[in-house]
Amino acid sequence: MLARVAGEFYWMGRYLERTEHTARLLDHQLRCLVDTPANELAVQWSAIYRSLRQPAPDVSEDADEAEVFLVADAYTLAGNLVETVANRDSILSCWGAARENARQVRPQLPLRVWTCLNQGFLWLRERNFAEAWATGPASLVADVVDRMRLLAGVVDDRMPRDDAWRFLMLGRFVERLGQHALLLDTWNDHGRRDGTVLVLAWSDLLRICGAYELYCRAHSMSVRRGRVLDLLVRNPELARSLRFCVQQIGDLLAGIDPAGARYPLGAPHRSALRLAASVEIEEPGARASGPAWEDESSDGGFFATVERNGAALHDLIMGTYVEYSALGTVP
Amino acid sequence: MGAYRAAPDPVCERAGSGAFREYKLDSAFYDEMFRDDGEPRQMSRRLNATLAATPPEDLSILQAGVARRFLHEGITFTVLGKREVTEQIIPIDCVPRLVGSAEWDHLERGLKQRLHALNLFIRDVYHEARCVRAGVVPPDLVFGCPQYRMEMRGLKVPHDVYVSVCGTDVVRTHDGFAVLEDNLRVPSGVSYMLACRAAMKGAFPALYRECGVREVSSYARRLYATLASLGLGSGEPRVALLTPGRYNSAYYEHAFLAGEMGVELVEGRDLVVRDAALYARTAAGLRRIDVLYRRVDDDFLDPVVFRSDSVLGAAGIFHAYRAGNLVLANAPGTGVADDKSLYAYVPRIIRWFLDEEPILANVDTRLCREPEGLAYTLDHLHEVVVKEVGGSGGYGMLIGPHASASERAEFADRIRANPANYISQPVLALSRAGCFVDGRLEPRHVDLRPFVLQGRDEQHVVPGGLCRVALRRGSLVVNSSQGGGCKDLWVLKA
Repeated sequence: MLARVAGEFYWMGRYLERTEHTARLLDHQLRCLVDTPANELAVQWSAIYRSLRQPAPDVSEDADEAEVFLVADAYTLAGNLVETVANRDSILSCWGAARENARQVRPQLPLRVWTCLNQGFLWLRERNFAEAWATGPASLVADVVDRMRLLAGVVDDRMPRDDAWRFLMLGRFVERLGQHALLLDTWNDHGRRDGTVLVLAWSDLLRICGAYELYCRAHSMSVRRGRVLDLLVRNPELARSLRFCVQQIGDLLAGIDPAGARYPLGAPHRSALRLAASVEIEEPGARASGPAWEDESSDGGFFATVERNGAALHDLIMGTYVEYSALGTVP
Repeated sequence: MGAYRAAPDPVCERAGSGAFREYKLDSAFYDEMFRDDGEPRQMSRRLNATLAATPPEDLSILQAGVARRFLHEGITFTVLGKREVTEQIIPIDCVPRLVGSAEWDHLERGLKQRLHALNLFIRDVYHEARCVRAGVVPPDLVFGCPQYRMEMRGLKVPHDVYVSVCGTDVVRTHDGFAVLEDNLRVPSGVSYMLACRAAMKGAFPALYRECGVREVSSYARRLYATLASLGLGSGEPRVALLTPGRYNSAYYEHAFLAGEMGVELVEGRDLVVRDAALYARTAAGLRRIDVLYRRVDDDFLDPVVFRSDSVLGAAGIFHAYRAGNLVLANAPGTGVADDKSLYAYVPRIIRWFLDEEPILANVDTRLCREPEGLAYTLDHLHEVVVKEVGGSGGYGMLIGPHASASERAEFADRIRANPANYISQPVLALSRAGCFVDGRLEPRHVDLRPFVLQGRDEQHVVPGGLCRVALRRGSLVVNSSQGGGCKDLWVLKA
């Protein structure tokens, strides 16, 4: 597979994951609009924007964050994340970017996968957000999530498990790792900042991550912070846990570049192993100071470290498989 | 819907009646569907009956369905605007054009003959230039042609195949088929032929089956076999397709063909030349390429040899080619044989190289570079078509009868200023075929671009082609950039 093509699949996976992640956050938030008090909504908007590393729209940098989200209207806040083309991380922008990546790899992409992705993008581009807002904005982002799931199903059905699929999935899980770490960091950190009274509901986090039912089965409906974080970090069966992500990344790297090939235990593999160790080894109660996410000695905390390591892994993947120097590599 | 019913018994309607009441025949033009007396041609009777039995609303739905399919599958071409890049679908007409078996066989023989002679001609002008010395072609026409590549002189091209993929523009008049233009560099459009066919099989399955249409789906396999046959080693050569990238108007076609052939679609930035061999950067390191089907113009192929500002090719490609470690298809420098000035000499080239009479006629062409041609063109500007020798896409041309006096005067000045840049031809009475436009069946002018493949040992003409149609009533310009569309061409088995 061409290095450029590998890169396109990888980025396509990242953009698709980013699209879905944003849509899932908004899906939950827009459902809350109906019966949640304004001050709580503002806190939630703040958390969403923070976890997406997005500045609030149309405000100066020195504005008070809490106030910004209290006075901003939901239409603007949601629209900025859904349809604003100038926002490179909006759903429409990310979907468009994934489509551009897909266009570059049409020969390797099954027609049905392309059609599903393209059709979805054209559908979203032609939607009028103002009209969708009038009739029920939650259904728009819910449709986005559904179309993303449909696409994932078509990918699962139509793509052979070759390097194209591996790079696509590698992109998805690297992106998911980073996004998920940021999300957990936001929730974990929120209650401890600024002495704020209003805290984010841990049950909301579980719902966003699709883990509420799993949590209830394991722990009953009594939602506690420690159990939630443990589930979302260490559960190997939850598709949006950190552990699941790093396990998938390790397996995909092994498939792309098995040991004994060009880079026996190459740099990306070592990085993935370190990441896996950081989220797998820590058993609750094994440390005197509690689980790793309670340890504030590391720079920025546990989740920030995971996110930084994920970004470093991305650089290694690009440097090893996509943007390597061609000097001296003639077989 | 009507189209999915079995085709009805061929109870046909005449032009100007029933479903064809808006179908006005004009004896000046050959009609592909009806005879001059208004009766449907024998091979069109079943198509005619199906169209007559299908309500216009159903045809509209079919037409819209085909367009939607093109949109969803991304069968688009890129239009570069001043500020943005847009993707457009090529308008497709849902009424197929039919060609009978015997007339296609005639066309096929003529196309093969033409390509064979042109390959011999190109080889000759880059080696002994015997045909120039013999006075078959004026020397300045060859050696003064901007597409003549000095770098190719004396270079041994694998198997002497310079042009392995050719798209020849053919028109039909009352006198039969005639060649309008040879496209010997990077001819495009074959993907639209295949996409149209897939769409039309879905739209008229019963009619398609009953008509007995020759298949075109083997094109990609044939293309791959053609390219692979040009390989220099004994094993299976590694073939790749070089595209300028996604902003190129034919990018869809490049991606489509690479996918169909199962070869890598590479861009210049994917390629590296080391030790006079071409490599592609893969995720697992560099991998050798033996045959490069390049869809990049000569000028942009290699910045070391051709345009130094090009980023579409790769430095050193020509070096690898010259060293015999790479096959380029088509070879650089083939443009010398599809120049519009040289076109007028192709019948003489066929006679001289093959000692045969041309099977396909040329369109009568006058070269403004010659005093008689210039005088005739200027005197008859109101009744001829004037083209730039290097122009394409319907641009840089004047259709005399449709131009105003001031436009003709302006063009005359341009011709006088640089006569060698122009040729003139009579306004052709392009044949017309039935189209579904604005909810009605009406005739529109059409042309045809069949594709000819030349491998190491054999030639192949795919039984079909890109059939372009001028969708504006009365227009003779079939280019998609100027209101043209396309339709499927059905070559019948019998």
